[in-house]
Amino acid sequence: MKIGIHALKKVPVHYWIDIALFIFILVFPLLGFKPFRVTYMNQFVAYLIFALSLDLIWGYMGLMSLGHAVLFGMGGYAIGLCAQLQNGAPAFMTREGMNQIPTLLFPMVNPIFATFAGLLLPTLFAFFLGKFLFKSKVSGVFFTIITLALAQIIKDLVINQQAFTNGFNGLQGVPRAFLGLGMDKTAYYYFVAGVLILVYVCCRWLTNSRLGKVAVSIRENESRVSFLGYNPENFKILIFAISGFLAGLSGLLYAPAANSITVEEISVAASTFVLIGLAVGGRGNLTGALVGAMGLQWAKVLLSESTAAYWQLVLGAILLIIIFVMPNGLIGQLLHLVYSLKTRKHKELTGGGA
Amino acid sequence: MSVLQNFVSGLNVSALLMVAALGLVVIFGLMKVINMAHGELIMIGAYMTYGTTTVLAWPFAAGMFMAFLSTAWIGIMMERLILKKLYAKPTETLLATYAISLMLERVIYFFYGAETKFVAMPIPGLLEIGGITMPYYNMFIILFSLLLLFFTLYLFKYTNFGKKVRAITQNRMMSACLGIETANVDTWTFGYGAGLAGLAGALLAPVISVTPGLGAPYLTESFMTVVVGGVQSVIGTALGSVIIGEMRTVLGGFTNTVMAKIIVFVIIIIVIRFKPEGLFVTERR
Repeated sequence: MKIGIHALKKVPVHYWIDIALFIFILVFPLLGFKPFRVTYMNQFVAYLIFALSLDLIWGYMGLMSLGHAVLFGMGGYAIGLCAQLQNGAPAFMTREGMNQIPTLLFPMVNPIFATFAGLLLPTLFAFFLGKFLFKSKVSGVFFTIITLALAQIIKDLVINQQAFTNGFNGLQGVPRAFLGLGMDKTAYYYFVAGVLILVYVCCRWLTNSRLGKVAVSIRENESRVSFLGYNPENFKILIFAISGFLAGLSGLLYAPAANSITVEEISVAASTFVLIGLAVGGRGNLTGALVGAMGLQWAKVLLSESTAAYWQLVLGAILLIIIFVMPNGLIGQLLHLVYSLKTRKHKELTGGGA
Repeated sequence: MSVLQNFVSGLNVSALLMVAALGLVVIFGLMKVINMAHGELIMIGAYMTYGTTTVLAWPFAAGMFMAFLSTAWIGIMMERLILKKLYAKPTETLLATYAISLMLERVIYFFYGAETKFVAMPIPGLLEIGGITMPYYNMFIILFSLLLLFFTLYLFKYTNFGKKVRAITQNRMMSACLGIETANVDTWTFGYGAGLAGLAGALLAPVISVTPGLGAPYLTESFMTVVVGGVQSVIGTALGSVIIGEMRTVLGGFTNTVMAKIIVFVIIIIVIRFKPEGLFVTERR
């Protein structure tokens, strides 16, 4: 028994926060909130996967992407398009003069195919983009600017190609289902929560593995990593592709929870919103991504209800305060605090040290 | 004939792009600050022009002057209060300027509301030569942008201030040791860059509808222009804006403007991939 407690003490503090957050997510529908709150929560739980995926490349590898929501959108639009195609060519296609579903889109009618498309497309896109960018001198700031341009391009393309994307209106009426299996609200909620926990466990394992350690060393000093005989580009490509997969998965789960996917959700603003969540929560420890993204989403919903006009001002102010007061974010600050307490205790036990 | 017409219209697009990007080449190229609020500075310039010309009914030149002054002041305040403490921290700078951009957009929204504002065309009429037309206002934009380009070049090449700026760009510590008041020079440089963004907004105001969200697309375009031209090169940025503006309008004649924009952006990304230092920068060692 004593050994058991001792082993529990070795679990880092932020793991407990994660567990608490997951328990909160799991009991949330039972707390008697209004149904639309649970629907919001369902969307945010799907969004947390996106936050984790962004933390992998930004927090761990130091690559700031302003266009990550594009990968999120690929998942969402794949499943949304599938839903729209169920009853023949939807209204936005016939309006553009296409009375039949185009042959190219025909497999998308099958929800299983659409799901795999929604997962594979962002993964491959991230893989090839990574291959294209990281094998050159493009780094740091330029990566950020390219992703900014990419997000703008894709947004323009989605608005322009109305026959496939319904332009500004986006795709509505996405049913709660996965691989074609329809679910009711509660079942879908727990399904998404289950996927989130699974993704979280995988991300924890990944970041604690050698791959994660190499990622962190790339962030800290890329040329030293290559001097040590590693090939940083390949690691970057791999993690970017994994991150793309997770972003796609997140979009795939988000669209049914929100019942729609629109162009707003793939814009630069959407990417930046999650980036701010990471900055507030603290990046590079996964917990910060979860706490920050969840906190910010709820703050947005609750503040928009009471004082819609002030929300953006509040968001800007929060961000500025975090940058100046806790540059490592809330969880980063907490971990730092715990660490310094531990070392002080250690010093007291060993009689000073210094 | 229509290709030629598009080419002529493209000059106008290029000129506007150049003014928008000139501010950024100062802020991003010389000071290494990723200013996410650049689009909002352009937006504020446009609103200031609206305020002076439409609300106060002052002449357009006064609007341009006010746009420059107000955005330069905002830039100076941004630099003094926030960015000064964040140099050499690119991520924090980016986030901070984004926070500022959110707040600026909201503040303007409070004052003017979300509905579209219009600024009357200060120089109406158009010139027609052999079937090719060009509004007088576009000619004014082109001439004014060239003027700004030469002034900026002169400012950074030949004046005492410009020499200090370039010295700081090359070696901040050494410049400080030689007695250059780096902090002050930073503030004024940022203010000038921000003021240029405001001027871009003033020039844009009569040809677009003025809304609180107008800045966002210009942010991306300005960054693209600066990066293509070569981050530190004013001339490069000018050439880059001509190339981008022309490609967009001429290509736009064959497809539609959105597709042309997308094609140009894809080309730019490929260019950045192979030449991240910019097209018009000769490598020095």
